[in-house]
Amino acid sequence: MYPILLLPALILLFGVFGIPIVRYIWLSFHTSSVLTDLLPIPNNGANWIRLFSDSRFWQDAIQTFRFAISSVILEILIAISIAILLNQTFKNRGIVRTITLLPWALPTTIMALSWRWIFNTPYGPIEQILTLFHLNSINILSSPKIAWFATVIADVWKTTPFIALIILAGLQTIPEDLYEAFKLEGGNEFSAFQKITLPLLQPYIFLGLLFRFAQAFGVFDLIQIMTGGGPASTTESLSLYAYLNALRYLDFGYSSTIIIATFILMIIFSLFTWILIRQTKSLLSIR
Amino acid sequence: MNNRKIVKGIKYSNFKYLLLTLILVIFNILGIKAQSKKAVEINFLMPAPFAESTKDLVKEFNQDKNNKINIKVTKGPLETESVSDLAISSLLLGDNSFDVILIDITWLPKYAAAGWLVSLDQFIEKGEWESLAPGARLGNSYENKIYRWPFVADMGLLYWRSDLMPEPPKTPEELIDISLKLKQAGKVKYGYVWQGRQYEGLICVFLEVLNAFGGGWINDSNEITLSNKKSIQAANWLKRLISSGVSPKSVTNFSETEALQAFKEGNAALMRNWPYAWAELQKESSAVKGKVSIANMIAKNNQVPVSTLGSWGFSVLQGSKNKSEAYRAIKYLTSTNSQKRLFLNNGYTPTRIDLFKDKELISNSPILAMLGKALSSAKPRPETPYYAQISNILQTQISAILTDNKPIDEAMKLAEIKTRQIISSSGQK
Repeated sequence: MYPILLLPALILLFGVFGIPIVRYIWLSFHTSSVLTDLLPIPNNGANWIRLFSDSRFWQDAIQTFRFAISSVILEILIAISIAILLNQTFKNRGIVRTITLLPWALPTTIMALSWRWIFNTPYGPIEQILTLFHLNSINILSSPKIAWFATVIADVWKTTPFIALIILAGLQTIPEDLYEAFKLEGGNEFSAFQKITLPLLQPYIFLGLLFRFAQAFGVFDLIQIMTGGGPASTTESLSLYAYLNALRYLDFGYSSTIIIATFILMIIFSLFTWILIRQTKSLLSIR
Repeated sequence: MNNRKIVKGIKYSNFKYLLLTLILVIFNILGIKAQSKKAVEINFLMPAPFAESTKDLVKEFNQDKNNKINIKVTKGPLETESVSDLAISSLLLGDNSFDVILIDITWLPKYAAAGWLVSLDQFIEKGEWESLAPGARLGNSYENKIYRWPFVADMGLLYWRSDLMPEPPKTPEELIDISLKLKQAGKVKYGYVWQGRQYEGLICVFLEVLNAFGGGWINDSNEITLSNKKSIQAANWLKRLISSGVSPKSVTNFSETEALQAFKEGNAALMRNWPYAWAELQKESSAVKGKVSIANMIAKNNQVPVSTLGSWGFSVLQGSKNKSEAYRAIKYLTSTNSQKRLFLNNGYTPTRIDLFKDKELISNSPILAMLGKALSSAKPRPETPYYAQISNILQTQISAILTDNKPIDEAMKLAEIKTRQIISSSGQK
C-alpha cells in the first residue's frame, strides 16, 4: 500500500548485508596482503584462478557440505521425535520442555570445549568407558576418518532443540479433530503420523532445514575449538579457511574470494533444495 | 497501598544510586585529567598470564612519580593466537589504543612487513643489545632492523625422570630404547609424550626432530628441503614413536597441557615441553616432584641438538604517540631486576646474559644453567611474513602422516611443493 514505509527496512538491509557483500566482491578482484602493504591492488581475477586450482578450498567445501548435510538430516530426524514427545500431555511437561532447550542456550564455545573433553583420549569419559570394557581406544579426535563425525555429533547435540522447537510449534497447529476423524475411519497411529502429521509438518520441517543448513554451512566456532581444523585438516570448514587467510595470513583479497565463493555455493545449494522441496510438495498434493 | 510504598522506595533509592554514580563519574574524569597532566600513559596489550605476572612490577613503576610514565596493561585472551587476532583487528581498524604489544616470535615478520611496528634501532644505545643472551637476540629483527625487545625466552626442553634412568637419552635411537624398556618393565604407561595435535606446537616438535636428523625446512637461500632423505627420516622417526608404542596413539591430539598432564601423573618417562612446565612439576599436586630433570633435545651423533626458539617480546606500535616513553617502559619491564623477580616468582626464563651467571638465581634454581645451555642452542623458526601459511601447510601434512592419512613420502613431497608455491608467489613483489 505504502511502499515508502518499507524504505527504512530496505536501507537497513542494504547497510548490513549489501555493503559488505559488494565490498567483498570488489576485494576478491584485488590483492590485499602484506605484499601490497595491505592496500588493495587490482589483479585481474588472479584470486579466482587461484581458487579454482586450490585443492584445499575444494577439500574444505566437500567437508563443509558433508558436515552440514549430515548434521541437518540427523537433527531433523531427532527433532521430530523430540517434538512429538514434548507435544504429549504428561506431568511436569513444562520442566522437560525447558530442559530440552538447554543445549541450545549454551554458548557454542563452552559446549565445544566440553565435547573436546568428552572425546579426549586418554582422559575423556568415552575412552574411560572403553577401557572399562577392555576395548581398544579409538582416538576419535585424532582419526581423520571419524573426527569430522564427532563434530557432527556435537552440532546435533547443540542445535536439535532449535528445530524441535520449530516443529513443536508446527505440531500445535494441527487440529486434534483430524486425528479423531482419522481414528473413526479406522486408521492406526502409525498411518496417522504418515498421512496427517508429516504432510502438515512439512513447511515447518523445511523452514528448520533451511535455517539450520545456512547456519551449519557457515560453521566456525565449533570446529575451531574442537579440532582447530585437524587432524590433517580433515575437519576444516570454509569459514575457518577464510578466517585463516584473513587474520593469520593477512591475505584479505583471497579471504574475500573464499567468502564470496562460499556464498555462491550456498545460494546454489539453497536453490537446489528449494526446487526439490517444490517438487516433493507438488507430488504430495497430487497424492 | 503497600505495593505503592515499595515502588516509591525503589524509585528513591534508584535516584540515590544515580546521584552517587554521577558524582563518581565526575571525580573519575577529573582524576584522569589530573593524572594525564603529570604522566604519559603507555598502554600495553599482553596475553592474560603475562598481564597477571607483571602486575606488581607495573604497580611499583607507576607509584614512582619520577618516572612520569603511567603503564596501563590491557589483559588479552589466554590463548596465544587469540591475542594476535585481537591485536590484528585493532591494527587493521587503525585504532591507536595500544602503544606496546607483547608478541610471539612467529608474528614478528608479519607485523613488521605490514608496517605496524616501530624499528627500535633509533632507541637502542650502544652496548644495550649485547646485554642480551645470544639466543635471545634471535628472532627480533626483520630485514636487518630490530623490531622487538625480548622479554621471556622460551625453548623446547626434554624432561626426563631421574628416578627411572641414570641419564637422559641423547640420540633418537636411545630415546626409543629407553622408553620401550621402561614400558616393558611396567614402570610407566607411556615412554615419550609430546605435542602431536595439528597446531603450531607440532611444528616446534617437528623442527627439533628435523634438526636432530640433519634435515631442514627452508634454508637461508630459500631452498625447501622437506622431501630430502634426512627430512623423511625425521618424519619417519616421529611416526615410529607412535607405531612402536613409545608414544600413545592419542599423542596426535596432545597439546602442551595433555602432555604435561600425563607426565605430571607419573605416566610417562620423557616429555617434550617448554620451561613453564618445570614450575608445574614442582607443585605438591605433581606425582613426580623431585624426580624430574631437564636436558637438551636429542640429536643423531653427528648432529648438534637444537631447541625450537619460542620467545615473547615487546614491540612498539606505529600508532603510538609516545614512542620513546614506550621504549623506556619496555626497558623497565625487561631490566635485570624485573627479570630476576619474574624468574623467581613465575619461572620466566631471562633474556639478559648476566642473569644466567647471577649467584642468587643459581642457588635458587637447579635448572638455570641448563636453561642457559638450551637457549644457546635454540633456533628460530623461518623468519618470513608468510610463516603462518607455510606452518599451516606443514602442520596439515605432518598430522596426516601421524594419523595414517597419507604415506610419508607423499605428504612430505606435497608439503614441499605447496611451501614452494607460497614462497615463490611472495617473491614476485
